[in-house]
Amino acid sequence: MADTAPVLQGSPRAFTPAPAPEPAPDPAPAAGPDPVTKNDAAPKNDSAARTGPATRTGPETRAGSAPPTGPMARTASEPRTGSETASVPAPAADPASVTRARQLLAVRPVADGHNGLPWTLRLRSGHDLTPGHYYDLDLADATLHTSFPALRAGGVGAQFWSVHVPPGAVGDRAVSATLDQIDFVHTLVRSYPESLRLALTADAIGDARNRGRIASLLGAASGHAIDSSLGTLRGLHGLGVRTMALTHDRNTPWADSALDEPRAGGLTLFGEEVIREMNRLGMLIDLSMSSIDVMRHTLALSKAPVLFSHSAAAALTGRPGDVPDDILERLPVNGGLCMVTFEPARMARGTGPATLADVADHLDHVREVAGASHVGLSGCYDGGPETEPATATDGTYEPLPRPRGLEDASRYPYLIAELLDRGWSETDIAKLTWENTLRVLRGAEFTARAGGPRRAPSMATIARLDGARR
Amino acid sequence: MTEESEVSETNETAGAAGTAGTPGAAGASAAGGTAETDDFLARAHALLADHPVVDGHNDLPWALREQVRYDLDRRDIAADQSDDLHTDLPRLRAGGVGAQFWSVYVRSDLPGGHAVSATLEQIDCVRQLADRYPQDLRLAFTADDMEQARAEGRIASLMGAEGGHSIDDSLATLRALYALGVRYLTLTHNDNVAWADSATDEPRADGLTRFGEEVVREMNRIGMLVDLSHVAPATMRDALRVSEAPVLFSHSSARAVCDHPRNIPDDVLESLAANGGTAMATFVPKFILPEAVAWTLAADENMRAHGLHHLDTTAEGKRVQRAYEAAHPRPMATAATVADHLDHMREVAGVDHIGIGGDFDGTAFTPAGLEDVSGYPNLIAELLRRRWSTADLSKLTWRNAVRTLRAAEDVARDLQSRRGPSNATIEELDGAAPQD
Repeated sequence: MADTAPVLQGSPRAFTPAPAPEPAPDPAPAAGPDPVTKNDAAPKNDSAARTGPATRTGPETRAGSAPPTGPMARTASEPRTGSETASVPAPAADPASVTRARQLLAVRPVADGHNGLPWTLRLRSGHDLTPGHYYDLDLADATLHTSFPALRAGGVGAQFWSVHVPPGAVGDRAVSATLDQIDFVHTLVRSYPESLRLALTADAIGDARNRGRIASLLGAASGHAIDSSLGTLRGLHGLGVRTMALTHDRNTPWADSALDEPRAGGLTLFGEEVIREMNRLGMLIDLSMSSIDVMRHTLALSKAPVLFSHSAAAALTGRPGDVPDDILERLPVNGGLCMVTFEPARMARGTGPATLADVADHLDHVREVAGASHVGLSGCYDGGPETEPATATDGTYEPLPRPRGLEDASRYPYLIAELLDRGWSETDIAKLTWENTLRVLRGAEFTARAGGPRRAPSMATIARLDGARR
Repeated sequence: MTEESEVSETNETAGAAGTAGTPGAAGASAAGGTAETDDFLARAHALLADHPVVDGHNDLPWALREQVRYDLDRRDIAADQSDDLHTDLPRLRAGGVGAQFWSVYVRSDLPGGHAVSATLEQIDCVRQLADRYPQDLRLAFTADDMEQARAEGRIASLMGAEGGHSIDDSLATLRALYALGVRYLTLTHNDNVAWADSATDEPRADGLTRFGEEVVREMNRIGMLVDLSHVAPATMRDALRVSEAPVLFSHSSARAVCDHPRNIPDDVLESLAANGGTAMATFVPKFILPEAVAWTLAADENMRAHGLHHLDTTAEGKRVQRAYEAAHPRPMATAATVADHLDHMREVAGVDHIGIGGDFDGTAFTPAGLEDVSGYPNLIAELLRRRWSTADLSKLTWRNAVRTLRAAEDVARDLQSRRGPSNATIEELDGAAPQD
């Protein structure tokens, strides 16, 4: 009975992912790492990277020159033509660095923290995935940042698909909108079995990569999704949600947003219980868009590593929602991860529009303050601004443009090339793109395993702890 | 349908017996404790050991929510809970229950629109019960799971949602409930939903709206049973017309025996044979005993005469109700009352289309002999007394319900090969939702 129940088929407690067909040989370069390449990549330093492509043969040449599929895919050796680059200034990166970046991504692909495609498709097509009806994600579409050719060319190996709560939705509207999008992501994964594979654990992410699929995870973008109910939180976990942002642009009844008037002064007692229950379940706590008080409060409380799924460094931009240095400094102790957003409105400094270099600056800063083990990438492709107006499903919704140089999901190699040019070691790049994300997920799983047997599911209610019903 | 031939014969004999013995006499003998009764009861226990009860509706999760807010330590159902609940594990065992559809019901009038999250909390409660009592309960999502649980000597635990308000007019939310294990959805509770009429509300959609029909089709596609208890006859007929899979009445009795809107008219019962579905007779006295229906109407009238709502549960309301009850004793239903309904339903719908849905912990009053979940053997004994055959009883208790779920699974497999998930919205199909 299948298709709607990836969950709970055989065993009552285990979430069994929908079976994917046996892996077919995959043409894309991002997939199927060659063991030789894998062993080679990590220890290399910059100079090896620069000279590598010219002198080396074998696996690297294969990885670097394998033709990506689809119109969005380009390799460094294929210079862009004039018509293609009309609106896209060519990146300044050294072509050799771009080639090296692609080689690195073939082994440690990007695990990206935030992609708004589900909500964008919902607004534009009402979730209709009938091939050819609205969008065929196997083809690049100029009005979307995300397509499978773009993700392949970008070296993306794992993606947190954002399960968005529409602006203003509370109560059942927020819950059923969340269930609606969870269902959509499951449908998306089933509709493109050659490209996507549902991943509910760190191990499953590795499996997906080894099968040449993009590991697909679900991340809820706002605490409104659980309607102040721990039973509902467990329901979302049962449906595959593995991260939840405590707030988006509005306070929840139990946690303050960075973009709203402070009310709880951090987390309420019920908010603390949400943290403990997420620890117990193994769901990552996403602090992007939470108020600084909530960040501090959570870091003091959480037994598992935390996540910033799409954030900027306050030291560079200083907008509400950005992560201050004193929080970044605490990430090594917590083991957590700050994924730097590409959101232009969050990256831009001064007057000019945001560029790839701005994103690299934030990455530099987070690496400097938190350390290379606590920085990650979050393209936020096909996402809207943090505060968006209620938008009708009239097919006109356009995702906001991305920074110059990072226009769509195929552009990650140019960012990696920029970081190589700035002197990032290949070890640090491997952590940035892939290893940190897996470690954080594993950390949350470990906390859940270690604490689960000692704690029963929490039956606390917001009425009991905070004295107010939702 | 291969079961039909062996059925028709037993039908005739049992039908004759049913008309011969008056319900009153049978009830008296049940209470008498004669040697003959003990014999029937012993046979009932033996029969239930082989063919345990699949009960269509039990509101234990809601009772746990209301009484102790899911504090399962305070209602440890491994021990006797007869002071507070109709249901606990020892009594389920004594009652010969082999599978239970736990209702994940939530009120349709929860303030502020929290029906979906409350439903998820109810589902969470059932999963925790199964986690907590693994020796006695086993979550079941398929007919195979039910058989397996029975083979292991555990009570198969299924979930049924009660009322379309639990899906918030969203087919994706419906699919999410399925993914979390819910295997039937009652289309309405006591109030209409935007897309289906309830039996106990003012008619508005005249059955199902177009979106309501799409809900039924999507339930067919995913393999969730369409439950027609609580819905208006027009909704029953619409759903039977649209549904490609067998339907369920999780807790409804026969309208011809007791004229109450919650019961099933004969023409609908007759159409179950073609549909393949199952109607599970309920035990709620105010639905099944004509005297109790009349008594309830008079009691409600009395409440209104005192200027109170008929469901008023304030101290004043309770006082008025108690005074009325003292002056006018509440009529008692018995196991024989339920047996009267089952006799009629077997006659009209056929023995392959009947079952049991007690509604324990969902009703304040229960029939004599069926006071709690340990009472099923008394009902089976009464039916044995009415000369029901073992074959018929095994269909009533176990086989029909399992067959119905399995058939829904088959239909779902077939439909899934032919169509994808529906993303229709109520706005698209019905225009703006009438009330929300």
